[in-house]
Amino acid sequence: MSQESSHQRPDFGRETALRGPFVFFFVAALVWLLAASALGLIAALKLWMPSFLNCEWLTYGRVTVVQKNLFIYGWATNALLAVNLWLLSRLTSFEFRNGWIAVFGGLVWNATLIYGVQQIFAGFLNGFSLLEMPREVGPVLAIAFLLAGFWPVVAFARRPSGHTFAAQWYVVGASFLFPIFYLIAQLLVLWCPASGVVQALVASWFVQNLLQLWLAASALGIAYYFIPKVLERPLAGYYLATVGFWTFFLFAGWTAPATLLGSPIPVWIQSVGVVAMVMSIVPIIITAINFHGTFAQNGGWANAWNSTSLRWVALGTISFTFVGLLRAIFYTRGYSAIIRFTEFYQGLDHLLVYGFVTMVIFGAAYFILPRVTGALWPSVKLIHVHFWSVTLALIVSTLVSLYGGYQTGLDLSKGAPQMIGGGKAHVLTAAAFLLGHAAFALNALGLIFRGLTSAENRQHD
Amino acid sequence: MNDRHRQPDRQRSEGTSDGRLVEIHAQIAREKEEPREGFSLTPIFIVFLFCGFGFWAGLYLTRNSGDFSASAFDLDVPKASASAGPAVFEPDAAKGEKLFVANCAACHQATGLGMPGAFPPLAGSPWVAGTDERMIKIILVGLAGEVEVKGAKFNGNMPNIGAGLKDAQIAHIATYVRSAWGNQGEPVMDTKVAEVRKALAGHGQFSPQEILKAHPLEAK
Repeated sequence: MSQESSHQRPDFGRETALRGPFVFFFVAALVWLLAASALGLIAALKLWMPSFLNCEWLTYGRVTVVQKNLFIYGWATNALLAVNLWLLSRLTSFEFRNGWIAVFGGLVWNATLIYGVQQIFAGFLNGFSLLEMPREVGPVLAIAFLLAGFWPVVAFARRPSGHTFAAQWYVVGASFLFPIFYLIAQLLVLWCPASGVVQALVASWFVQNLLQLWLAASALGIAYYFIPKVLERPLAGYYLATVGFWTFFLFAGWTAPATLLGSPIPVWIQSVGVVAMVMSIVPIIITAINFHGTFAQNGGWANAWNSTSLRWVALGTISFTFVGLLRAIFYTRGYSAIIRFTEFYQGLDHLLVYGFVTMVIFGAAYFILPRVTGALWPSVKLIHVHFWSVTLALIVSTLVSLYGGYQTGLDLSKGAPQMIGGGKAHVLTAAAFLLGHAAFALNALGLIFRGLTSAENRQHD
Repeated sequence: MNDRHRQPDRQRSEGTSDGRLVEIHAQIAREKEEPREGFSLTPIFIVFLFCGFGFWAGLYLTRNSGDFSASAFDLDVPKASASAGPAVFEPDAAKGEKLFVANCAACHQATGLGMPGAFPPLAGSPWVAGTDERMIKIILVGLAGEVEVKGAKFNGNMPNIGAGLKDAQIAHIATYVRSAWGNQGEPVMDTKVAEVRKALAGHGQFSPQEILKAHPLEAK
């Protein structure tokens, strides 16, 4: 143990300052992850056996909505707040002294989330995807985010050297933009609703921004950091990263109308959405060159596979490239006409939010948690259980959603609608996700507990 | 203490240090402009590829944006209304007046009163009232012979003025004539003109007897 702490000595001060906020956000994220996975299993069971858990609070509509909100605002956002803070403090040598402000913001965020979720269960929900929580939640969440999640921007603004790195750009961009588009969406959708179709347009714009400019952008920052860091080599084609960054942020906000193809919004707005969706291939190609090009050199794939953390990041980047190409193809008019009312697009969103963002967060957690807490992972078996159950569940659920959705679309366009298939498969994958997440949470909580007790011991020494 | 377990990340070194990570990549970003040995073709290929995407985007937007109109909601509708534009014909007496002045007023006069003894009047004439076919036919192929209009006899020779005019123009003229100078006839549609023109293919000038047999003057 003494050898380890001397090994960590250079970073020790910074890491201990970060320990409180990081552990707080990560434990909150874990709790929400377990809650969301349990609700995911309930929702899948209800789709299969509608009379399961037959009470008003647990109707399918409310359960899926709460599950989605908890997964994104509870799990992914809490975890990204923790990882973004850690990443930017490391990259800018930022002395984070105001941990209590972040923790206070985190407390407000999670308390508000509990209130919002309880309101949804009670039936007070809005009809806009990911804005379902009652509107009084919006401003509070925005302020809580500013307290908890704006620190990467502060760290970036106060960086000592002029050099910057792609990981910083994405994390700073994401942390900077989230409060802005969240507040705009709250204002134009819930508080002073824009008239007519503009409201629906803003709501879909918000969803795309949330998925891409907050979740995916943060995860891109994490990937840009861990790949060269763990492989100990510079990124391939790094000079392209600037173009990738700007095109990603430019086109992501414009993609929303493509999700509304065929609805009564002016046709030029729909076309702009399709163009943005297709042009998003530019950052996809560049990040693919940066990530996969680096993995392809000198046995990088094998190294990534053998690293507990980089394995997740590598899988996540593959998902990102894949989902980017699929979005560019299947959000065009011809395909949209076939699959717009099926689970195909849910499958794509799932591949982005889970296959990319969540996988990358897992990778970051396996790297950061031992370093922040100074403890080791209690069980290697649980790591394997986590990896395999989650990876297989991701592959199967994505294939079922994409293939099943496409088949349903073909049936619908032939005028022969059928019962949506894949119900049993979704129950199995939801159970596998829950199993993997339980293994991860058990392992991580054990590690955090160990770290905290050993830290106390160290203080006594 | 945990040596029994495999902990790949912990046993390996920290990885590249963070300061070095930023430094190396900043260097790569700076050095991109310098020509190097073994210059890779990738950048130029990517530039062309992205230009191709941009070209496609412009093309797609031009073709599928409904002229950026706020009222075009569907790709098929603006095309249909564009091709159906002339089909939605509005008989327009104002356009008819201009065409009348240019094509007819030399004989029938802008007042519609004609020239006594030479050209019959149109104002209050039963020939332009009632059915529109009579009038369209005369404009299209002309009329030669002795006719009686409002008690006066005219022995004229009206050429096939309408042969050089479009259906819509003839419809405008007829609409104007039937609504001006106190005349009270129904407007004339271009489809009607097209129909009549088709039926008259190869027909020469009418004689008064022939046209009156087909379309007797309606009593007021």
